[in-house]
Order: sequence, then C-alpha cells, then structure tokens
Amino acid sequence: MTVTPLLCIAAGGLLTGLLAGRGSGGVWLAATLAGVSAALAAAVSVLAGGGDWEWRSGFPLGGESLHLRLDGISAFFLVLLCLIGVAGAVYGRGYWEEAMHPRSARAGRIWWSVLLLSLGGVLLASNGLHFLVAWELFTLSAYFLVTLDRHRTEVRAAGWLYLGASHAAVLALFAFFVQLSVRTGSWDLGPWPRRTELAPLFWLALFGFGLKAGLFPLHVWLPAAHANAPSHVSAMLSGVTLKMGIYGLVRFSGWMPVPLGTGWVVAGLGVASAVLGVAFALGQHDLKRLLAYHSVENIGIILIGLGFALVAIEQGGAAWGKLALAGGLLHVWNHGLFKALLFFAAGSVRHATGAREMSRLGGLWRGMPWTAGLFALGSAAICGLPPLNGFVSEWLVFLGLIDASLAHGSPAWAAFPAAILLGATGALALACFIKVCGVVFLGAPRSMAAAQAHECGPSMCGVMLLLGAACIAIGLAPVVFWPAVARAVGAWQPAWGGDGIPAPLVALGRAHLALAVLAVLAGWGLWRKSRGQHWVHARTWDCGYAAPTARMQYTAGSFAGILTEWFSWILRPERHGTGPANPFPAHSSHSIHTPETVLEKIVEPAGRLILRASIVVRRLQHGRVQSYILYVLVGLTVLAGWILTEGRS
Amino acid sequence: MIVMLDLVLRLALWLLLPPLLPGLINKVKAWVAGRRGPPVLQLYHDLARLWQKDVVLSNLASPGFVIAPAVAWVALVGAAMLLPLGPTGAAFGFRGDVLLLVYLLALARFATAWAALETGSAFGGMGAAREVSYAVLTEAALVAAVLSLSVQSGSITLATLLAPAAGAGAVLLAGGLFAVLLAENCRVPFDDPNTHLELTMIHEVMVLDHSGPPLAVILHGASLKLLLFSVLLTEAVLPLGRLPPFVAAAALAGGVLSVILGVGLVESLLARFAFRRVPLLLTTAFLLCLFSLLVAWNGGAA
Repeated sequence: MTVTPLLCIAAGGLLTGLLAGRGSGGVWLAATLAGVSAALAAAVSVLAGGGDWEWRSGFPLGGESLHLRLDGISAFFLVLLCLIGVAGAVYGRGYWEEAMHPRSARAGRIWWSVLLLSLGGVLLASNGLHFLVAWELFTLSAYFLVTLDRHRTEVRAAGWLYLGASHAAVLALFAFFVQLSVRTGSWDLGPWPRRTELAPLFWLALFGFGLKAGLFPLHVWLPAAHANAPSHVSAMLSGVTLKMGIYGLVRFSGWMPVPLGTGWVVAGLGVASAVLGVAFALGQHDLKRLLAYHSVENIGIILIGLGFALVAIEQGGAAWGKLALAGGLLHVWNHGLFKALLFFAAGSVRHATGAREMSRLGGLWRGMPWTAGLFALGSAAICGLPPLNGFVSEWLVFLGLIDASLAHGSPAWAAFPAAILLGATGALALACFIKVCGVVFLGAPRSMAAAQAHECGPSMCGVMLLLGAACIAIGLAPVVFWPAVARAVGAWQPAWGGDGIPAPLVALGRAHLALAVLAVLAGWGLWRKSRGQHWVHARTWDCGYAAPTARMQYTAGSFAGILTEWFSWILRPERHGTGPANPFPAHSSHSIHTPETVLEKIVEPAGRLILRASIVVRRLQHGRVQSYILYVLVGLTVLAGWILTEGRS
Repeated sequence: MIVMLDLVLRLALWLLLPPLLPGLINKVKAWVAGRRGPPVLQLYHDLARLWQKDVVLSNLASPGFVIAPAVAWVALVGAAMLLPLGPTGAAFGFRGDVLLLVYLLALARFATAWAALETGSAFGGMGAAREVSYAVLTEAALVAAVLSLSVQSGSITLATLLAPAAGAGAVLLAGGLFAVLLAENCRVPFDDPNTHLELTMIHEVMVLDHSGPPLAVILHGASLKLLLFSVLLTEAVLPLGRLPPFVAAAALAGGVLSVILGVGLVESLLARFAFRRVPLLLTTAFLLCLFSLLVAWNGGAA
C-alpha cells in the first residue's frame, strides 16, 4: 500500500506548517505544499484504480479507536480540497501580505493549516465521534479565517451569523450521529445496507449538511460570510467547505437507506436553490456577494444530480441515475475550480481598486488584462458554455434528466420541470455574468480607483492561470477525468460501477476540441484581418452624442432590471430616492437595494419572537428569595400531586 | 474521402446560403407593400463591401471587441453543423448533441453581448440587457421543445430526434418554435430589423458600434442563425427522415422557404410589440412548447 506513507507525509507536512505558521511564511508554504501534494497523490492513487484504504489505530483517541478510510467518494473530494487548499495558500500570500497585515497574516496561516487538517479529517474519519470533532474544528477554523479582518463591523456581524448558523448545523449533526450510534450500537461508520430503521435519520443529516452546503432556505449565512471574508478564504469557503455538506449528503445517502421520496425532496430543493440562487445573484451590486449567491445556484445543480440518483435507486433506473450522479459529482469539482477562480479574480479587483461595489468599477481590462481574461473564462465556465468544464457536468445532468423522462415512469414528472428550469437557470446565469463582466471589466472606468487599477502580482496571476487551465482541461478532455467520477459513483452505489467511458462523452470531448481550435483560429484570423485594414480609433459613437461620460453607461442594476422585475415577488427590492419634480427639477436620486429576503423576512422575525418570549420568561428570575421559596413550594406541591395521582391509578 | 467531401459540401452550404434569406424576406415585404425592393442578393454585396472596409474602434474597446464576434460566429457554425440536413443526416452526431446545440446558441449570445458592452455605450447595455433577459424565456421554450421531440421520438440524438413528424402536437410545436425563431433572430414583433430608432431595438443596437470585417462576421452569423432556426423548425414538424431522399430534400427547401415567407408576412402585417408585451408573447411560446410536450407524453404513454 502506498497510501499509508503518503498520508503520513501529508499529515506531517501540514502539522509542520501549523507549527511553522507563526514564523516565516516561506517555510509554512513549503511544508503545506509538500503535505498537500502527498495527500493529492494518495487521493489520485485511490481514484486511479487502487483499492480502498482503511486503517484502525490500536490506541483509543477520545475513548474510540481511530478509524480512517479513503474510498472513491472521500478521495474525490480530497482532490478538490488539495487543489483549492494549495491554490488559496499561494494566492493568500500575495493577497493578504505580511507587510500589510502583520498580525492577521500569521493567524491566517495557522488557521489555514488547521482548516486543511480538519477538512482532511472530515473526509477520512470513519468514526462518528471523530467526524464530529473534525467537523467542529473545521467550522471554528473557518470562522477565524472569515473574521481575519475583524476590526470591521460588518465582518464581525457576518462571522457571528456564520458561527450561529454553522452551530445549528452542528446541533443537527450531533443528534444525527448520536442516534446513529445508538441504533447501530457503535460510533463506527460504514455501509449499513438494508437497515431501514436508520432511514428517518437522513432528515437530520439533510438539515445539518444542507445548511452547511447552502441549500436555498438554509443559505442565510452564506452571502454575508463569503462576501466579507478575505478573497482566498471566500474561494476556500465556496469551493471546498460548501462541498463538505455535499460530501456528507453523498456519503450518508450512499451508506444508509433513505426514506421513501427523499430523492424527490432533494431534487426539488436543488431546483429551488438553482433558480432562486441565480435570481438573488441578479439583484446584487456587490461583486463577492453576487458570486456567493451563484454558489447557492451551483449547489442546486449538484443536488439535482444527487436527487435524481436517489429517485433512480427507488424506481430502478440505474442507467439514468448513474448519469445524473456523475454529472452532480463532476459539478462538485467544476464548481470548486471556476468559483475559486472567480473569487480570486474578484479578490484581485478588490486588491487593485479597494472596491467591491460594481457601480464604482468599469474598464478594468486595461489595467488588469490577465484578471479580466481569466474572469471571462470563469464566467463562461460557470454559465455552462461549451467547450468548458461547466457544460460537461451540466450536460451529464441533463442527459440523466432526459433519459429519466424517456423511461416513461413517474420520474418524468419531476424530470420535465427540472430540465426546463435547469435550462432557464443557465440563461439566467449567463445574464448575470454578462452583467458582471460588462460592468466591472468593460466600458469606461466609473471611479478614479478603477481608472488607476494595476494587475495583481505574478503569484496571484499564476494561481488563477492554473485554475483556468484546469477548467479548460476538463472541458476539452472529459474522458481523462471520467474514471475518477466513475470510481466515486461506484463507491456510492457498487452496482453502478465498472462501466467504461460512455461513447457520447468521447464524442463531446472531440466536439469541444474542434470548437476550441476553430474559435481560436477564427478569433486570430478576424483580428489579423481587422488589423490589416486601416484602423481608426474614435470615441464611442453612442448615437452621435458627442460627450458620453462613464455615468451614462448601463449600471448593474439597470442591466438586470428586466429580470429582477420578473423575480420581484421574492427579491422584494427596496427603492429609495426622490424623483424629479417641478418644471426645473433641482435634485433627484434613485437607488435600489435587494434585501436578504429569507434572513430579514423570516429568520430575523422568528429570532425576535424567541427573544421576546425569553424576556417574558426572564421575569421569573428577579432575585427575591421569598418568591423563589414560593416556586419551590409550588413545585413540590405539583410533584406530590402528580405522584399521588400516579400511585392511585 | 467521402466523409471529408460531405463535410466540405455541408460547410459550403451553411456558409453560402444564409445571406440569401434576409434578401428573400425583404422581397416578400416589398411585394406585400407593392414596392420593387432591394435585390435578393443585397446582403452578399454588403458583406463583400464590409469585408474590405476600415475598422473604426472605440477608444474604450478591448481586443475582445473584435474577437467576440468571431467566437459567436464559430459557435453558430458549430451549431449548424450539428443539425442534420434532411435526407443526408448529420455530419456528426452523438447522444445529447441537441443540448450542445442549445448551449452553442448560448455561447453565441454570450459573445455578442460581451462585444456590445465593450464600448461603454448606453445603447449597447440596453440591447444586451434585453437580449439576455428575453433569452431566459426562449431557452426555456427551446428546452421544452427538445423534451417534446425527444419524448415523441424516444431519442436525444438530433438525427433521430428530428426524423419523425412531431405528431399530434405538431401545430403547437410549430407555433412555439416559430415564435422562438422570431425572438431569437430579432424579427417583428419582438424587434424591428429596419428601424433606426435605437431605443426600441435589441439586436441592431448591440452591433451599433461595430464596423468593417467584424460587422460582416456578425451579419453573416445572424443570417446563419436564421437559416439554422428555419431548418430546425421544418425538420421538427415534417417527417423528413421517413420520406424518400429527393422528396425530403424538396420538403426541406419548401419548408425553409415557407418559414421565410411567414417571417416576411408577419413583418409586413404586424407592428412591433411594446416591450411590456414581449415577455407575454414569449411565455405563450413557452406554453405552446410545453403543451406539445404534454401531447407527446400522452401519445407515447397510450
């Protein structure tokens, strides 16, 4: 077995990083890099056909002997963790510089190491108790990373919301694992086929893991946390930690039987997350908050895949369930890659201009051509445009959905709306990202900061280039990555594994390759042809208006106006300002703000209600001893009465 | 060898034929209005002229302003090459290629809207915003139509998907797809290709700042898209795969011509709708495709 030494090296490297984090950043980076590469090698060796790896310690840790397991599913997620973990570490060194943030840079390195270690622990742990400990550690380390910049009020508020929401999830997971250990008789985790009495526990897991993954009504913590964290942390949160929720759902829906109809619920939640996530994204004016809402959308797409796989198990549709699950799992990788790329690019924009508000940006391509080009690449990938990776996974999910409807059973009634809404989601995402690209990178700069923007450093650019290359690679050669996906699918449902590469995927890869070559050739050809002609630079024509200004450009709000109006029933945009009045209007203003509907209209009122109820209850405690004696007396009387009546019956 | 020849002939057809269609539409409109109208081959002349012209570039535009039209054009050509041509079938097909076609159209939209936003002109933003917003409804209608055809034929490969007739829901599907064709190609009643009042336009306003060879590529791509949708509509409704080859070829040509005639007549007899009513009409198109899906489902289950 080569996995054991590799994982030992990984643990050693990351622990060295943890200890070295206080000192020099160089040693920390080298140790982290070594550790992560070893972990990546271990995961790849399992995915490339090696058997599952399992290890039990002879000694107990916290009363339970350590049980680690690396199978297809955990290795699949481990690859993503390694890639984004190391990318974020390198990017973070340029983004959160030692010179600018001497204290928090050091803390950031240490918490980054803790986060990597605890996430690895979550993926490897095969014991409920250790899983919970690792999960809690990862929640806490992510909290400290989100609040690195904690002298800002909104960062503290976002961190607090994240911590509260995450602990609601931890509570549900605690109940889940305790119930699981009571019913199975041990904390050890593993497959329990045909133990149908475990099935109802899945609802607890769905709440706990779903909250962490950012499912639609449970996503309330997500936009604020992702928007206010430093960008390399946002990339990690969105690219990897959300996927831990997905990992939990995939892991436990594979290991234990699920209640009847779970697949429909999961798919329904997925569709709701996809459509509403992108609708909320359209209403945002803050670049990072917008990207955060797109995470909700993509988690939705992943869950559509998982949901239909569960339906397929219930209805016996292996052929299409396999495709849907493969699409969902591949989207886990894809979303991790392009979302990290987009957050890094957004971080570079922030770094260069100090702004996240899109209305203060514009024309950035001139100052930061690499960032602009890579952001465009990431946008095309997240919109699911061929020939990039996003299309491959969405295409697989689509194939699963259409095959489900061709099977002429009841799943068709879920597959039709899911497919149509998935198509509409793609078009909405396209609208949203065209808006971002246009407003942030194209046109004229809307502020001095945007006009003077400069390109980010070579390490930040290099990381983004690598992620962009990965997006292109999965798009052009999906066949190379298929065995890993198939291995994970086989680990989820052993009966579904062992197939070769599907022929349509090979054809799709070829079509993508041809398309990419032709697009490059045509773009180059047209550029040459246009340069060959006489080339006249002039002011934007703007229908003959001679003095266009940057403020006359379409803004993010006006661009998305048509679509946000269609979704105003849930976005509930708030309009402020005064319109022009009198024949000679003096001053007028107009601004639109999209609130966090679920948080502000549901969670906060509910919280206020609970607070009010607890204020009433608090009146009972006032410090007067006489009343306390009265409470004791009343309590004793009630108890005595109860015992007497019980005894008589 | 045969494969290469087939590919070259197909490509030649898809590249040379499309500029004819706008000319035909203009002839129909002139005929209804009792005018002589521009020559049928006008667009060929325009394209040749534009290809030789200078390029006027906005100070704000990046290289993407020139490259994006090329990407959009490649996406449209790729989508066209996926379509089977009546009796000859498709050059290249695999399970799920119909989805690639839908998403290639989306890629073309992305590139066109990108180029529109390059110049920072308020009009570019206006047109791009309208284009991508209405596309949400047309994409939903298109996916519903694809589902309807795949349920009808039991396949998701374009060649077999389009071979049989659309069945009982043919009229619904034809109506829905015709509306999608009008919206996607920016024809009346969604958009007016003749107007020069920029405030009311969608497609034309996106390409206002383009000139020279890039504009030629955009115009050729637009006519290619029109041919693509006409062929798609004809093949979706008529059972071309079940007819003898020559009849099928004639039926395809006849179908495309009647679609073009229909576009011309709609353009002559209808006025452009107010923007508020456009989503309503598109929703109707979506519902038509959805009903055809339900009819196909019912027919398949029976």
